[in-house]
Amino acid sequence: MNTPATTLLVVEDDVQIRRFVRLSLEREGFRVREAETYASGLVDAGTSKPDVVILDLGLPDGDGTDFVRELRGWSQVPVLILSARTMETDKIDVLDAGADDYLTKPFSVGELLARVRALLRRVSRLPDSESAVAHFGDVTVDMTRRLVLRNGTPVHLTAIEYRLLVALIANANKVVTQRQLLRDVWGPTHVESSHYLRIYVSHLRQKLEVDPTLPQHLLTEIGVGYRFTM
Amino acid sequence: MTKTLGPTKLPRHGAFAYAGAVGLCALITIAAWPLSHWLDNVNIVMIFLLNIVAVALLFGRRAAVVAAFLSVALFDFFFVPPKFSFSVSDGQYLVTFAVMLVVALTIGHLTTAVAQRADDAQQRADEQAGLYQLAQELAGALSLEQTVSAIHAFFRQQLNAGSTILLPNESGELAICEHGATRAGQHSALSNTERSAARAVYETGTLVDARELGADDGERLLLPLVGATRHRGVLIVAASDRTPRSLFANTSMLRAVASLLTTAVERLHYVDVANKTELEIQSERLRSSILAALSHDIRTPLTALFGLADTLVVDAQIETAPIKEIAVAIRDQSLQLNSMVTNLLDMARIQAGRITLRREWQPIDEVIGASIRFAAAACRQRRVVVEVPTELPLVNIDAVLIERVLCNLLENASKYSAAGSEIRLIADATASEFVVSVRNEGSGFPADRIERIFLLFERGAQDGHVSGMGVGLAICRAVIEAHGGRISASNPTEGGACVTFTLPRGTPPSVDLEADAASASVRP
Repeated sequence: MNTPATTLLVVEDDVQIRRFVRLSLEREGFRVREAETYASGLVDAGTSKPDVVILDLGLPDGDGTDFVRELRGWSQVPVLILSARTMETDKIDVLDAGADDYLTKPFSVGELLARVRALLRRVSRLPDSESAVAHFGDVTVDMTRRLVLRNGTPVHLTAIEYRLLVALIANANKVVTQRQLLRDVWGPTHVESSHYLRIYVSHLRQKLEVDPTLPQHLLTEIGVGYRFTM
Repeated sequence: MTKTLGPTKLPRHGAFAYAGAVGLCALITIAAWPLSHWLDNVNIVMIFLLNIVAVALLFGRRAAVVAAFLSVALFDFFFVPPKFSFSVSDGQYLVTFAVMLVVALTIGHLTTAVAQRADDAQQRADEQAGLYQLAQELAGALSLEQTVSAIHAFFRQQLNAGSTILLPNESGELAICEHGATRAGQHSALSNTERSAARAVYETGTLVDARELGADDGERLLLPLVGATRHRGVLIVAASDRTPRSLFANTSMLRAVASLLTTAVERLHYVDVANKTELEIQSERLRSSILAALSHDIRTPLTALFGLADTLVVDAQIETAPIKEIAVAIRDQSLQLNSMVTNLLDMARIQAGRITLRREWQPIDEVIGASIRFAAAACRQRRVVVEVPTELPLVNIDAVLIERVLCNLLENASKYSAAGSEIRLIADATASEFVVSVRNEGSGFPADRIERIFLLFERGAQDGHVSGMGVGLAICRAVIEAHGGRISASNPTEGGACVTFTLPRGTPPSVDLEADAASASVRP
């Protein structure tokens, strides 16, 4: 499924991490470019026009959040962050700055590939997102008719639940912070009422997930936000 | 330096004053004797009265009284006929004597009163100048040492009195403050009664006269240093025999000094506190940056190790079983090493200071679900069963930390149970708290160590075949207790091991879902 033209840029200062990331990605048929520093990473992101940027948050010569902010000035390329755990606020900052997803170190090859593919899928989906019908699990969301079906049976959603679901679908296959969701669904004045968001997410899980406690699609990224996979 | 005594430097009491009075009277008598041929006795009386003024000015009131009587006697004896006899020939002289005595006494009294007032004014001015200077010195004092020596110098120069400053040391005990340090071993300079008196003064904040306590070696006053927020110490002033006035006549001045001293001590204390806080902030910053660097430096090679091993594991070209198995083992071991490092760093962070909770109201099943997903790798080959009622209220927790607790408990439950067994995670709420427990079907905690299981570096099983350091449960306890909950371990009768923790329910924020439900809902 990967065309030979799919290029990934890995910005990471540790040579061994770069090595295994490159090995696992190349084996899947991606072309991998490497950058060791903040500065060369930005240059390479401009010249080689990668399809996904994989960025280490702990670069010694610069701040990952600044990197993403600068990159977002001229490119919408998906950015996958590699970060240590216990850095929740850093993760939120870099996601709010425009990064799309993150992986917590240490991560497995399987997780890495899954995240990269999910981001590529997002990009490929974008042009025809007007189709306005989304499927996940046994649920179908028809956004033109504002209709939610589960196993073919209509599901009743309140207005806010529906808006939240649409916002999640728009951000599918990446991490979305609480702040982003609150802003999208409730408006910019409600970015502090996170418990509302949590309650509505749990309503959605109860209505749409097979096991609301162990959700398969509407996942919680503790301390950061949500990930909607489809 | 200001003069310490008034303009008259002659002592105004005692034998010298009386001798001076007698001497002056004798001198006047001798000087007036040759004049008696030319002068009327009336004018001789005037000369005697003038002498009274001199005596009063020079030697004080009592000497003036003595001089008054003596002058009348001398006048009678030497000048009133018959001379060299106290007998009086002319009865009119009795009136002269009476008037002379009254006038002499009155003049003596008025003169000394004026002199006294001038004296007092001078002394007050001196004291005031001294106080101003002391205030200036104390305001500029940069150390306790300067403060103490300024006080000592002030009492030496103003009152010829000794002073001792007692300040509480770190353990709250009063110690003599000298050369900037409060030295506990310095108590020898104070008697036992004085020490306990000082303690009482410090505690009650009231002034005490040491003589009341039976100290007979001179006059001593113990003054409390009453600060704005608490008592700062005790100032002891001891009069010497050269102290011009009673200390009691000076209590208002002494109180002023005590309050100046209190202000200075308090100011230095707060400077000290500010410095210490600054230092604490800096060391806290250093500590967290060291922890962050350590965390990064250890995790980077671990990430590489784990990733490289995983690359081998998923490599389709490698089919030789031993190599695959070794790769899996390396991967799993590095993952375990990672969880140990995480725990150790978390513990270091917890022990470095207070845990800062970032609490938010959230459904507890959200954290439970995320924890199970996170611990999935560690719980491989175990069935994780969750029992959570659907309508639990929101709980106010730091989700990241509670997730650490749940992951630790799940990992432990998995580590100490056989493959294929069941791990149950049960959450419920009572009237006042949430109760969450994690139990496995393993062999349970060793009964003799069940109480100690939450202590740092304490492990349930000592028989070595399960790796771990005994940090995980200690972290769990620290986190749960920071949330105001409790954590305990038990071996349920139906077997296995069970860890239960509670979280206070608190009062969740009111959530207005009605407005939404009532609004136009999506067509079913």
